[in-house]
Amino acid sequence: MSDAQPLQRLLDQRSDLWRGRRRPRSRTAASGSAELDAWLPDGGWPRGHLIELLPTCLGSGELDLLVPLLAEQTRQGQPILLIAPPLVPCPQRLHRAGIALDRLIVVRTPDQALWAAEQSLKSGVCGSVLVWHPRGRVDARSIRRLQLAARDSDAPAFVCYRPNQQPPPSLSALRLGLAPGPQLTLLRGDGPPRTLHLGRANVIELAARRRRSTLPP
Amino acid sequence: MSGPARASLWAGLYCPGLPLSAVWDPQPGIGPVAVHSHQRGQARIFQAGRIALQHGVRAGMSLSQALALLPQLQTRPRNPTMEQRALEQIALAAYGHSHQVVLAPPDTVLLEIAGSQRLRGGLQPLLQQLQETLVAQGFRVRCGTAVVAAAARLLARVNQHADSPESLQRTLDALPIEALGLAPNQEQAMTGCGLHRLGELARMGAPERARRFGAGLNAELDQLYGRQPTPLAGWQPPERYLQRLELPVPSDRSEALLFAGNRALDHLGSWLEVRDRALTALHITLEREDAGNPIALGLSLARPGFDRARLLEMLSLKLDRIRLPAAIAALVLKADTTLEHRPPQADLWDGRNRGDAWPALLDRLRARLGEQALNGIAPQADHRPELAWRWVSPGTTRPCAETRPRPTWLLPEPRPCRRADFRLEDGPERIEAGWWDGQDCRRDYWIARDSRNRRVWIFHEHEPRSGWFLHGLFS
Repeated sequence: MSDAQPLQRLLDQRSDLWRGRRRPRSRTAASGSAELDAWLPDGGWPRGHLIELLPTCLGSGELDLLVPLLAEQTRQGQPILLIAPPLVPCPQRLHRAGIALDRLIVVRTPDQALWAAEQSLKSGVCGSVLVWHPRGRVDARSIRRLQLAARDSDAPAFVCYRPNQQPPPSLSALRLGLAPGPQLTLLRGDGPPRTLHLGRANVIELAARRRRSTLPP
Repeated sequence: MSGPARASLWAGLYCPGLPLSAVWDPQPGIGPVAVHSHQRGQARIFQAGRIALQHGVRAGMSLSQALALLPQLQTRPRNPTMEQRALEQIALAAYGHSHQVVLAPPDTVLLEIAGSQRLRGGLQPLLQQLQETLVAQGFRVRCGTAVVAAAARLLARVNQHADSPESLQRTLDALPIEALGLAPNQEQAMTGCGLHRLGELARMGAPERARRFGAGLNAELDQLYGRQPTPLAGWQPPERYLQRLELPVPSDRSEALLFAGNRALDHLGSWLEVRDRALTALHITLEREDAGNPIALGLSLARPGFDRARLLEMLSLKLDRIRLPAAIAALVLKADTTLEHRPPQADLWDGRNRGDAWPALLDRLRARLGEQALNGIAPQADHRPELAWRWVSPGTTRPCAETRPRPTWLLPEPRPCRRADFRLEDGPERIEAGWWDGQDCRRDYWIARDSRNRRVWIFHEHEPRSGWFLHGLFS
């Protein structure tokens, strides 16, 4: 038993080793929802780590999930980057959610999206970096590079795969499946596999102004 | 303009290797080099580099003789245009130390330093600093100082200093006749008369001197000894920066272009410094050897300033992006500048320059991805949702007055869809607009669910088309 102690200590020093039990909590950024914070293994979005999002289809809530975090960061004056989003983010919606649009940068070219994300993370000045993986095969090496770059920065780094893409075996801290709802599934991270059906914040917002209407044929 | 009456002091910067430095870059491992010129219909070595000299190549040798001696010798013809440009580059460095700079072609630059020597802590530190700056740019210069500009030019060749009229007289008198650099036949005539020192020549009566050696010599001596003022035309750095830099050898390798770019940035840096301006954009045109369409590259800086390392990095990113269709013969640099000059600020606590990191990141991304790749997104006052947003340059802010629910994602163009695929949940929001600009439309927007349970934004259009369209995803 005494021989196991130094090994234990060695393992504890490695933050890149995934272990079946709770590791020391990493620094986190609040997700903006108490429900989500409680559900996430670290109690928020882990900073300095790569977080993988796997939506089942386009528009499963991948951006809405992060809007509160992005809003908070732009309020603090930190720039945020959306790299190669598949559609156009609606400025009115983002503005209403509290995002300062002058701190939001959209990189529109899908080629070299991962390079751009890597550079942004390395610069250490960005609040959050959110990159949509370009179409096609996922290159495990570029994800690995992204992960190393994320470690240099204080920002949570998100990579969002296409619905038909298979993420590579990686050492990411957190991998979340996303289904419309939004419904989250913990695919990788500390703790047992679990799902969360998030509160419908914007449905409520709509319900407040719902009015009687006749449906057209 | 100058004379002994005014307490002025002139420094001469004499660059003996100018013809060589003008056409050859002092890059390490270049091998033996030389410059040749055509004399009496025959190509002869004009100036040889250090390694070539060690192997016995001498100025005046015919080209074939030199090549027989040293087969690996590389030689280029003399280029007066490039020599003039190199001289101006030296003048630019000198302009950082004096407001009064004069070109004395072919190989000397004069600057007035009476005022600035105290600023730099004395004459020697000033000259040393100047020499170091120039060596970094690839020019080895000899310095000389004198109270008279014409004498400073002469003393620079022999590396002597005369900071008072008396010492000038003494120094000049002791110089050998050859230092004047006269024509060989004139020199021979003087030695034939038993004249070996400048002093002996100066003591000779003026009419006799004119009769024996020509009238021009008298005027020259008068200027040297400060009895007549030297006519001088002041040199000013150009108002706008435009520089053409020929590559030593046309090349399509980006390393060669970067090397030339590095040298050009040296020059640009000193120009910005003496003009006290900050760079906002650099336009580089690559001229092709085959005279095809030149290739234009633009580097724009998110924040005015001059950071050589960053500019070089941006240039290399730009060059990585393009495929050079032919060898490049020359670079033309044009700089956009501003007077607004903000020195970089470092963070008080960790010393990291965070204020600079953000523009640096934007510049790097732009250089690789293209100018159009980086955008902010801004709302636009229009009722038609497809016209209610636009791409803007990063950091732009605009007011937003929309209070109706909008989806997170918009499709770039509304896409036709079938009503049967959706379950309507909320609506309609009637939008009728555009009658004033010919893009008239009448639509009812609905929030609906699709078969995958996504909340989507669809509309039923009445005019101009009729049908259902998908326009956004609430995600």
